[in-house]
This record gives sequence, structure tokens and C-alpha cells, in this order.
Amino acid sequence: MAEALVLLTEVFLVAVGLLLVTLVWRRVALGRGERRVREAERRVRPVAIALVEGEGGETTGLSAREQAVLADVLGRYARKLTGDADARIGAYFHDAHALRSALRELHARRMWRRATAAYRLGDMCCPDEATQPLLAALDDSRREVRAAAARSLGRLRVVSAALPIVEALVQRRVPNGIAGQALLELGTDARPELGRIAGHEDPSVRATAITLLGLVGDSGDSHIAGAALRDPSADVRRAAAEALGRIGTFSDEGALRAALDDRMHFVRAEAAATLGVIDAPEALPRLVEIARTDRFRPARAAARAVARIDPKLLTSVAAAPDAGPHLHEAADLLAV
Amino acid sequence: MSAAETVLRIASWISFFYFVILSLVYLTFTIVAWKRLAAHRRARQYSPLDELFASPFTPPVSVILPAYNESTGIVSSVTSLLDLRYPRNEVIVVNDGSTDATLEALRDAFDLRPVREALRTRIPTAPVRATYVSRRHPNLWVLDKENGGKSDALNAGINASTYAYVCAVDADAVLEEDALLLVVKPVVDDPELVAAVGGIVRIANGCRIEAGRLVKFGLPRSNLARFQVIEYFRAFLIGRLAFDSINSVLIISGAFGLFSREHVEAVGGYARDTVGEDIELVTRLHRYLRDRGEAYRIKFVPDPVCWTEVPEQLAMLSRQRRRWQRGLGETLWRHRRMILNPRAGSVGMVTMPYFLLFEFFGAIVQLIGIPVVVLAWAIGVLSASFFLAFLVVSVLLSMLLSLAAVLLEEYAVRRHEGPREIALVVVYGLLESFGYRQLVAYFAFRGFIDLVRGRHDWGEMERRGLERSAEAPLPRQVSSP
Repeated sequence: MAEALVLLTEVFLVAVGLLLVTLVWRRVALGRGERRVREAERRVRPVAIALVEGEGGETTGLSAREQAVLADVLGRYARKLTGDADARIGAYFHDAHALRSALRELHARRMWRRATAAYRLGDMCCPDEATQPLLAALDDSRREVRAAAARSLGRLRVVSAALPIVEALVQRRVPNGIAGQALLELGTDARPELGRIAGHEDPSVRATAITLLGLVGDSGDSHIAGAALRDPSADVRRAAAEALGRIGTFSDEGALRAALDDRMHFVRAEAAATLGVIDAPEALPRLVEIARTDRFRPARAAARAVARIDPKLLTSVAAAPDAGPHLHEAADLLAV
Repeated sequence: MSAAETVLRIASWISFFYFVILSLVYLTFTIVAWKRLAAHRRARQYSPLDELFASPFTPPVSVILPAYNESTGIVSSVTSLLDLRYPRNEVIVVNDGSTDATLEALRDAFDLRPVREALRTRIPTAPVRATYVSRRHPNLWVLDKENGGKSDALNAGINASTYAYVCAVDADAVLEEDALLLVVKPVVDDPELVAAVGGIVRIANGCRIEAGRLVKFGLPRSNLARFQVIEYFRAFLIGRLAFDSINSVLIISGAFGLFSREHVEAVGGYARDTVGEDIELVTRLHRYLRDRGEAYRIKFVPDPVCWTEVPEQLAMLSRQRRRWQRGLGETLWRHRRMILNPRAGSVGMVTMPYFLLFEFFGAIVQLIGIPVVVLAWAIGVLSASFFLAFLVVSVLLSMLLSLAAVLLEEYAVRRHEGPREIALVVVYGLLESFGYRQLVAYFAFRGFIDLVRGRHDWGEMERRGLERSAEAPLPRQVSSP
């Protein structure tokens, strides 16, 4: 028995010892790697700046490591720059090893390599080369890779990617926030596709489409959001009311005023807020009533809408003894 | 063999196997944590925070700061919250009936004006006396309420919050500039699943803190605090990451945690009748969501998000650990039906049994087990090889696993400046098993006794104050109700 105990403890010691040795080795290797990258970055930064500013930038003498670091630096610049600088970065990557390497890495066995490659392709400003591989990456088995691909398609402003991104969104293959941000990057070009999926059978997709239309759309899209105010899904109606507040111009105020009587309190709250944003004085009597009598969220939103539309009216109604806490609060905030 | 010898022998074997299983558990945790940290490191390459900051899809957050007699540090704490890098947030300070000048300090610093705020009453709290909003920072609200304790103050803050996610922050905590972005990231990735998120809390003693920001990392000068550095590595970096991998994180530190307001309201907010309100709330959330059969995640992000002060005096450490032990005991007792209940999933089958055996009763085994084995060996009941094997398992392996925690920290979030600091941490990791662990076990044992006696108070907590340079300490007295 004692021998078994000794053996057990020896096994433990060996396992923990191996773990410690590996951790020390990894720490040393990481530290060394990071130091080298920092040094290389210091050397290539002038080259990167020259490339971005169109002043040449000699890259032929750079080692493979320096080329990789230069690609990283240019990728970071690409996220902040547009116009000619973007085009020059694209021109550099067009012939660079980094682009070919990233395209190859999209097929790597390890997920993080594929995700990193998909992400980097978005910063290389080479839509012609990257679009098809990135579209294919939207079907990757791992969510992280799909998300990085969607983000990069948005960054590259690949308009034809609107539909696949929306489909990935619909099928929940890409997080809503990432897909939404990618569609936002596409800007107004994504509007036709968003208009189409605003009629999708899944209410959460319709709600997302309407929310996005609110962010990238203009007065030409207000009829879509207006129609969505009558959607059977409360989430869609809420998104529609919110989108109309963002778009700002809406001819059918009556529909929004009708939404103040929606059976769902959060739709009433969003409609009240939007009526405040678009400055709808006809809605004031109903807004005051809601602020006095409704549930917390719509009452607060209605009181603040009254403050936006007619501050004097708010002050006078808040002075009444039965004004209620929301009108009091809005009046006090107005005074502050 | 006499009856006494038989008892000694059985007790020795129980102790031995306890330490074997504990070492095996820690070894497994370490390997899992390493894997998770490696994946997290790589993920930074394809999910940067800048894009999260710029996205309109990043959800707004209400940050709640309960304050009781925090007049010295409250202004810098609030300033640091207002300076967080986050697209849309509000800060709600809840003055929980302070008897010092906390409210006056806030009024003067932020130009507060009274507002008759409409407050929800979904979670019952002690009465709110007044509400203020800052003229300089329209997203800063201050609630002045009657004293009801930390949980009550947090509940009042939840009632007053505007947004769908609330973040509870301790008044003496110092946050990283990106702390909110870091904990919100899992929510953005999975908004329908994530109910709560916690992050790594680290020790601020010895760091230079200015205007509510950590400007220079440093090791504490006190030996007691240095040992706690190792302890925190083990708890946060290894333990919680391992539990996160099976969706059974049981503790989101009270110093910093993000919650879905809807879920917290649904379970009735923070419990006011426990000193372990943070672990109790998370356990209740697990229970509620599992009972309803909802898919959910309670996440832990391995990024340092928050820095906090730890006790540097034995008396303070004793009070803190006794309180922690009581809080753990109260929570385990309150939710005892979850323990080894397959319906409670990994929380009931893995995490709660772990906390019961190794965190709650561990103190007793550590205190009694080692002397028993020494005695048994001394009187010849146990062989020398057994004794040696026991020492290796109970002491040497603990030391080496502490070292692994230090190395993992170095691997994941390197903050130590130079080899001297790393060497110091390693030395304290090695020394921890000789006295410190036994001391902490003793405090935990006293907490166990407190629990049995039905003690409910928080006890006094003296803090030196974080808003100071590492060289020039500024004394501060803080007590929790």
C-alpha cells in the first residue's frame, strides 16, 4: 500500500513538474516573441507611414517577420483611414505575402487561425481578392470565424455581401451585434436588402432589419418602418417606433399616435419617445395622460417627450397636485 | 491496535485522500484554465474592443455604486466611473444612510441638484429620502436613502436604473478604463443567453492610483497582502475560469459584476439577510434559470477589470474571511437542494459539491488533518513513507500549484515589471503553504463557528484608502453596515 502511495505522489509530482516547465517555457517564448515584434514594429513604422502617405516606402529589404509586422501595422492604420490612404494600403497588400498568407490561413485547421485570417482580410483593403473567400467563411463551422468574416465583409464594403450577412443573421450564425455593425458599414447600400427582410417570417429578423433601417435609412424608408408599426410582433412594433425616431421624418404621425395605445408597454414607451424626438404637438394631450397614468416605462418616456415638445406645458401640468412622479421628474430635470 | 490508534489511522487516510483529490482538482483546473487563457489571448486578435466601443449595438449599462461612509474616496471613485470608456452608461450612486459627509462631498464635487425621481418599487428597499442629478454630468444620479445595508443599496440602485444591464461596483474599487467593454463583450456575442458576467479582481495595495485610475502596478509591501496576491490568482484565474468552462461560475465578485436587470428583478434582487450577497445572487440566478429550463450563460472573462484593496492587518483579514465563510455557508444551506441534484446541472453536480467539500469544510480538514497525521506518524501508527507521501501531497503539491497560478498569470496578463517582482511573487507562492494557508483556514473555521452561532453582522472593515501613491498612504476608515 505504501508503495502505491509513493507511486501516486511521484506521478503527481511529475505531472505538476511538467506543467510548470511548460508554463515557464511558454512564458519565456511569449516574452521573447513580443519583444521581437515590438522591435520590428519600431523599424517598420516609418515604412508604413511612407506607404500610407504615398511617399514610396521601401519594403524589399524587410525580413519575413518584418513583413508580417508591417502588415499588422498597415491593418491597424486601415481601420482608421479612408480614401487615398485606403487605396494605397490595398495596393500594397495586393502584391504582399500577407494577403496570400491570410487567404491560405482561412483553411487552417485551427479555429483561431481561420478567425484571425478572416479578421485581417477586412483590414487589407483588397475586396476583389478577399470577397469570395470571406463569403465562403460565412459558412465556417465555427461562430468566431463567421463573425470575423461578416465583420470584414462590412469593413470592405462588399455590397453583394448584404444578403449573405443578413441570412447569417437570420439563421443566428453570426451574433446580431456583429452582423448589424457589418450592415451598418455597408451603409445606405444595404437598404434595399434590409427593406426586403423587413418582411421576413421570423419576427426577430424583422425587428433587426427595422432597427438597422433606422440606423442607415432615410426618409425614403420611413414607410417601411411605418408599416411595421402594425406588425403582429410587439418587438417589431417597438423597433419600428424606435427607427422612426432615428429617421426623424415621418408623414403618418397618426400611426405613431395610435402606437401610444399599443397593448405592450414597451411599444407605448418607444412611441412616446419618438413623438418627442419628431416634435409632435398633436400628441401632447395623450402623452400627458400617459405620463400621469401609465406604467413606469411609457410614463417616463411620455413625460420626457412632453418636456421636448412643449417645456412650458410640462411646467404647468407638473405643478398640478395629481401630476404624478414622472411629470415631476421631467419638470425637475428640465429645471436642472 | 487500540481504538485511538484506529481512529488516528482512519483520520489520516481521510486527510490523505482529501489532499489527493484536492490536488487532482487543482491540477485539472489549472490545465483547463490554461487552455481557456490561451484561447482568450488568441481571440484578442480578432475581436478588439475598439470596434465594440464604436458599435451602436453595444448595450447601455447602469453602473451602481453603493456607498456607506465613503466621504474620503467617493469623489475619485465616481470620477473614475464617469471616465470609463463606454459608449452609453449612467452612474447611480446610492448613499446608504452614511453618517459622514459622503453626500456633501458628492454635492460639492458634481453640482448635484434635487430631482423628484420616479422610482420603480419592484424590489423592496429602505425608503429613498431624495434623488439628485448632476448638472455637470447628466448621466450621474445620486440616491440618498435610509441605511439598509449593501444589498439594500444595490437593490435601490437597480430600481432606479434606466438600462437593461446593471453593473454593481464597490465604492473602493478602481476600474480599468475598458472594464465595462470587457464584461459587456459576452453580452454582445450572446445577448439572449448571457445573464451575468464577472471579471478578474486584482489587488491594488502597492499600486499607484491617481484620480481613480491605476497608473502604476506594484506589489504590496505588506507580507499579508502579498500572500493574498497568490490567493487571488488561484481563485480568479484558475478556479473561476475552470467553472466558466462548464457554465457553473458561482461567484461574481461584489466588487464588480454585470447583470441582466430583468433576471435580477425576476429573482427579487440581492438578498438582504446574508453577508455573501454576491455568491447568493449568482446561485439564485442559476437556480431560477435552471428551474425554468432556460438556456443561459453566466460568464467569467479572464481580463483584469477591477482593482481592490485587501486587508493588511490580521484582525481585518480575520473579519473578512469569517464573513466570506459565513456567506458561503449561508448560500450553500439556502440552496442545499441544488447540491448533487442532477436537475441543477453542473452547478449542482460539480460546483456546489466542490464549494461544500473544499471551500467550506476544507478549513476543518486542513486544520485537523495535518496535526493528526503528524501525531500518528510520531507515535508510530503510520509509516514514514505514508508520512512522506502525505507531506508531498498536502504541502509540496500545493506549493507547485500556487506556482502554476503565478505562471499562468504571467502568461495571460503580464503586469509585473521585471524579474524581481516575478521572483518575489514566486517566493511568496512557495511560502504560502507554511503558515498563511493554515492561518486562513483558522479564520475560515472561526467563520464556521460564527455561522453555527447565528452571527449576522458584517463587522468593521478598516481601509487605508486607494487614492494615494504607493509611497504615501492616506489613512481612511470605512465600515460596512
